[in-house]
Amino acid sequence: MNSGIDLEMSFTQGIQNLGFSPEVAHLLWIPLPMLLVLVSAVIGVLVTVWLERKISAAAQQRIGPEYAGALGILQPMADGLKLLVKEDIIPARADSVLFTVGPILVLVPVILSWLIVPFGQNLLISNVGIGIFLWIALSSIQPIGLLMSGYSSNNKYSLLGGLRAAAQSISYEIPLALAVLAIVMMSNSLSTVDIVEQQNSAGFLSWNIWRQPVGFIIFWICALAECERLPFDLPEAEEELVAGYQTEYAGMKFALFYLAGYINLVLSALLVSVLYLGGWGFPISIDWFSSLIGISIDNPLIQITAASLGIVMTVLKAYLLVFLAILLRWTTPRVRIDQLLDLGWKFLLPISLVNLLVTASLKLAFPMTFGG
Amino acid sequence: MLGFLQKVADYTQDAVGAAKYLVQGLGVTFDHMRRRPVTVQYPYEKLIPSERYRGRIHYEFDKCIACEVCVRVCPINLPVVDWVMNKETKKKELRNYSIDFGACIFCGNCVEYCPTNCLSMTEEYELAAFDRHSLNFDNVALGRLPTSVTSDPSVRPLRELAYLPETIMDPHELPSNQKRAGQLPSQIVNELKKKKSQENKNSTDILTNKLDSINK
Repeated sequence: MNSGIDLEMSFTQGIQNLGFSPEVAHLLWIPLPMLLVLVSAVIGVLVTVWLERKISAAAQQRIGPEYAGALGILQPMADGLKLLVKEDIIPARADSVLFTVGPILVLVPVILSWLIVPFGQNLLISNVGIGIFLWIALSSIQPIGLLMSGYSSNNKYSLLGGLRAAAQSISYEIPLALAVLAIVMMSNSLSTVDIVEQQNSAGFLSWNIWRQPVGFIIFWICALAECERLPFDLPEAEEELVAGYQTEYAGMKFALFYLAGYINLVLSALLVSVLYLGGWGFPISIDWFSSLIGISIDNPLIQITAASLGIVMTVLKAYLLVFLAILLRWTTPRVRIDQLLDLGWKFLLPISLVNLLVTASLKLAFPMTFGG
Repeated sequence: MLGFLQKVADYTQDAVGAAKYLVQGLGVTFDHMRRRPVTVQYPYEKLIPSERYRGRIHYEFDKCIACEVCVRVCPINLPVVDWVMNKETKKKELRNYSIDFGACIFCGNCVEYCPTNCLSMTEEYELAAFDRHSLNFDNVALGRLPTSVTSDPSVRPLRELAYLPETIMDPHELPSNQKRAGQLPSQIVNELKKKKSQENKNSTDILTNKLDSINK
């Protein structure tokens, strides 16, 4: 397997050619991916918000945002601007420190998780060895922030919403981790790059979704629950809890929750595409395709197009899943809290354990197809 | 053992059924996405009110005889009829007439009972005001005719419900020459008249026949 385009190496090499030491080159490189992640996450959110509003409108035979830019494309910007200039309120007798830290603690782990999302062979921020495990660990921080903001708001709705959010996140993290574990077992690696590479031998036929259909469904349900999207949006169920833990928030602090929710949705969709739908891989194998048109795989033209198409592929798969999430939002009614916990503990957990066991036994039985 | 297996089978069946219904539901939502929005973009597009729409009341000062029937039939005696008796001509002299649309419920009783038809209902429904007292219309304001939705150049009039041709629900891309479903009220009246005259003719025929037979 070839290594593809390595932007970091070419960048540091270029800087070194200008006469700087390798350390300085590395130091100059570090802020670039960070900036890239922030920008791409925020743009991803803007696009998702716009898509959510437009698709929701279409599903309800409405028009949706129309006047802010062409087809209302600037509407999320306008929303953000509005939240930016709104008054920042801390309610009386609320714990102002926890009240401020809460939303930050919700947002930061989500953005940090973007570290491990690969858009290409070397197009990720850091190919850490623990890879996907880092995401699971980071997503466990989120309920602490939710609980914090719910508890410090000095409001019964906020408290209930925060407790529900914590209960939900904790109970759905376990089947989620077990579903990921089955994937990890098949690809013998926690690294997201290895997981994708292991799926790209024969185009879409080698994607993990065919080998892990149950795991895919479990992962998707749990991801929706983790993002607090319908049908699992109990922590902010407006009919019961006003807005849950967000009730007392306004202005930029509310925007942080809003941003975290949508970044989390995009991140979950990206990870589903990475874990189950072959990440940046094409539906047809690129090796096979290049041999078909008779160009060497190391040809720079092929490399450039493959890399840019790889980014498009990842994003396309992720946004198809976002579309599915939005469609699900208008299809399914919200589950009750007891149904939610029933589904998590009595259905998903046993199923994911069985899935893990079956994967393990299949791996022993057919080491060729299930990554021996 | 068998009971346990039965339970597992039932549970699996339930889960599969739930998944099936979920997919069906997704199909419905997906199908709705390709339908045209039903939105009427209000200040730019407006629905044409029906002929019997009970909007703001129109009043013709010159027709009014100050009989105060409208006041008596009004649920809250709303119209204010300000008249004086002219001793010389021994006639009522109307000075002012007003209806407060902040309190009116648009029931149309006054229009129904007015002996000289000086009251009528218009299709005007945009009665928003910054001050509720400005909704107290005097005889000059009551005498104004509203701008019709169809004649306003800044508004795109849209037909609705029974005014649309048969089986069509969306008024947006509809040519204006397409007629509504069924017959117009005037056509129905004409037909009824025709029927009635025919019946009368028949009955007179029977009557003459009977008379003939008696005479014989």
